[in-house]
Amino acid sequence: MEQVIANGLYLGAQYALIALGLTLIFGLMNVLNFAHGQMYVLGGFITYAIYGQLGLPFPVAVLASGVSLAVIGGLMERYLFRTVIRRSHREESTMLLAAATAFFFDAVILLIFGEKQRGVPKIVKGVFHDFGIILPYDRIVVAVVAALMIFAFILFMKYSRTGRAMRALAQDRVAAQLMGIKVDRYTMIGFALGAMLAGVVGGLLVSITGVNSGIGGPISVKAFLMIMIGGAGVVGGAIAGGFILGMMESVGLTVLREYGDVTYLVIFAALMIFLAIRPNGLMGKPWG
Amino acid sequence: METILQIRDLTRRFGGLTAVNNVSFEVREKEILSVIGPNGAGKSTLFKLIASFLKPTSGEVLYRGERISGLAPHIAARKGVVRTFQETTIFRNMTVRENIIVAHHLRSKASLAGFFFGTRAAREDERAFGESADEIIHFLNLDDLAREKAKNLPHGHLRALGIGIGLATNPAVLLLDEPFAGMNHDETHKAVAMVRRLRERGLTVLLVEHDMPAVMKISDRIVVINFGQKIAEGTPLEIQNNEKVIEAYLGAEDEAIGM
Amino acid sequence: MTATRKLAGLAIFLLAVFVLVPALIAATGRKDLYYTLTSVALLSIASAGVWLTFYIGRINMGQGAFALMGAYVAAVLVTRYGMSFWWTLPAAGLFCALASLLIGLPILRLRGVYFAMVSLVLTEVTRLLALAVPITEGAKGITNIPLPGAISLFGITLVPDFSTMENPRIAFYYLAVTLMVIAFAAMYRLVNSRIGHICMSLQQNEELASSIGVNIVHLRLIAFAISSFLGGVSGAAFAAVTQSVYPSSFTVTDSVNFMLNCFLGGLGYVFGPMLGTLTLYFGWNLLFQTGEFQLLIYSSVMILLMLVLPNGLLSLGEGRRKG
Repeated sequence: MEQVIANGLYLGAQYALIALGLTLIFGLMNVLNFAHGQMYVLGGFITYAIYGQLGLPFPVAVLASGVSLAVIGGLMERYLFRTVIRRSHREESTMLLAAATAFFFDAVILLIFGEKQRGVPKIVKGVFHDFGIILPYDRIVVAVVAALMIFAFILFMKYSRTGRAMRALAQDRVAAQLMGIKVDRYTMIGFALGAMLAGVVGGLLVSITGVNSGIGGPISVKAFLMIMIGGAGVVGGAIAGGFILGMMESVGLTVLREYGDVTYLVIFAALMIFLAIRPNGLMGKPWG
Repeated sequence: METILQIRDLTRRFGGLTAVNNVSFEVREKEILSVIGPNGAGKSTLFKLIASFLKPTSGEVLYRGERISGLAPHIAARKGVVRTFQETTIFRNMTVRENIIVAHHLRSKASLAGFFFGTRAAREDERAFGESADEIIHFLNLDDLAREKAKNLPHGHLRALGIGIGLATNPAVLLLDEPFAGMNHDETHKAVAMVRRLRERGLTVLLVEHDMPAVMKISDRIVVINFGQKIAEGTPLEIQNNEKVIEAYLGAEDEAIGM
Repeated sequence: MTATRKLAGLAIFLLAVFVLVPALIAATGRKDLYYTLTSVALLSIASAGVWLTFYIGRINMGQGAFALMGAYVAAVLVTRYGMSFWWTLPAAGLFCALASLLIGLPILRLRGVYFAMVSLVLTEVTRLLALAVPITEGAKGITNIPLPGAISLFGITLVPDFSTMENPRIAFYYLAVTLMVIAFAAMYRLVNSRIGHICMSLQQNEELASSIGVNIVHLRLIAFAISSFLGGVSGAAFAAVTQSVYPSSFTVTDSVNFMLNCFLGGLGYVFGPMLGTLTLYFGWNLLFQTGEFQLLIYSSVMILLMLVLPNGLLSLGEGRRKG
């Protein structure tokens, strides 16, 4: 039992961080970023290259992942999404663009890093073993770092000038513009921030699960799940969704182990029923 | 005159807030009845309840003795109670004529499959809809704009189009949502004449409105609500001299200027 | 466009797909193109379904699920129950249409990105289901599906048994193209009839549509069922062509591709999905020679296309007419 909860929390913390980035981008620009999982993978490979190959310290590598993805995200918003949003008749067009960028990242990752599974040396050795819980120390470190980052993100959105501007933007774009908020600038920052979060999680997790070029798509699907559970575009919803999915996975993998790979089938089915009852997720704003 | 619409003990709560509280009144056949009230009095909730766009917490709306509240909007429309929207709600990417033709949905005798296969009934429907649409367009003085995309229409005509869409359904009762909002004196004058002509077509009109002078000019009877409750009902003259109404409006204005 | 011009267009199109293309293939000896074109035709049918759901204002990324479902239904019916391939086509379509009614009832209430995400998840659920339930035989799938048999009416053989043919691929090409022509003719009729206008009214404003008496729940279900029917038929035909079906036959990527086909062709044009499928599929195949750069070039071109033509390929014609 304790073990299941501990696993769930560990998974939940990293999931929540992934979902936060996705929901931020969605909330700000109504764009469903299909490339989110690919951004995660990219972050993982950057950390792999810097920490695993070059042998620089792990925090430096994770930082580099975050910064690179922030730059990539900012450029994507500025030169791709902004143009398409301006010129297209239908807002769904951004989904196509997002899907195309996802393919593009897949291709780039495949070309540079190949299709092999990559791992790096453990960052902390040893295993925590007490209170009926067995959890390797490195997982604890990752979970704690993730939790701290979630906390920092909330503080940032609540109290910083940039964070407040972005929240205003997510609430009502036109009103924000009338209030004198530089909409273009903060949209770009928001996209960069969302991408950065994906990159950082990717970097953190490469130390535990490793990374390979094929997992971008599945990660995106999981991230969609989380923000649907919590309600898209809402910070609290993303965090809740992340932890709920983490818990469900942890419980499912324990309870349903004998039945093979049905955990996700059950989770998906449960989600569809849940959404039928609550179309906007736990705390989402009504959509459309 | 016979009663066509009966609003009985209608109540709607949102969480802890009671937007409409136990409101009852009747609408008689072929009259123009206005619901007025200060800002936030619950007019628009009441309007949505009558049009079946919201389900009442309790109470009911009867059309010729049949309950229509709590059912889907298209069922109310099918029975003959049709609402219009404020101006931005139109089929933006269709022309004026297409807007009105598509709104003839309820009049079609042919089935959807009939339209697919182009049966005789379907062709007959198409022809009839076209004629009827042209008549409505003429009635609304939109002839010159018939082939214009709705999104390109000037503001004043959008509301006329909204009414045209409503008319196309061949309703018995037309519910108008703030038909004079945002109009200048001249436009209001024309719109008032238009609403009168709706009645001449044999329609019963229930409207929710802000613009007091227009309401006084046009209505046979007026229902006043405040804080979700009905506070008065009567002819324009009776309402003008009603203490409670004067108080409600003055009170609301005091609040508005911060007293 | 006048009626004569439309008829002429139709005649040229039919001539092209039924006579010119086979003649061209025979002349150049590129028999492999039959398979490519068969795939394009079948995939464009599924894309047409997705297009219809777009037309009522839903971003449908669940078509992979219905194509997979259709493929399995056909495969199971043929291999286990010995049903004729020709019956499995409508059977698979109807099965998918029914399934879509059950699934659609709750999820069609969702709009925008929510519907998109749930339908995407649906594709994944179907794949997992195919892995989990016994009748689909798990990851190894159903293989060695027999080729379609003969159709005869009153003792006259209308279509010979595919297995007796020298090159069944040609027969499959004709089959796929015929299905495609029927599907798009039906779509064209649908969209240009009153039903299309009502669907359009739904896309533009659901509240207003219901205020004029349109049963929006009903209509959404019908459109989704038609879409899924097309998905199922396409999947069933695909299973017959490849003589096999696996859980990975149609995945999330396919669902996304169906959507991309519609986008690329243009959401405002009935024939958009056909053109989109042709372009994407051929584009992808052409790039095969670039080896490891295939995906990179493909996605770059797609991004560029989005930047230059965010409203689809067919919007090019539109711009000319206006200008």
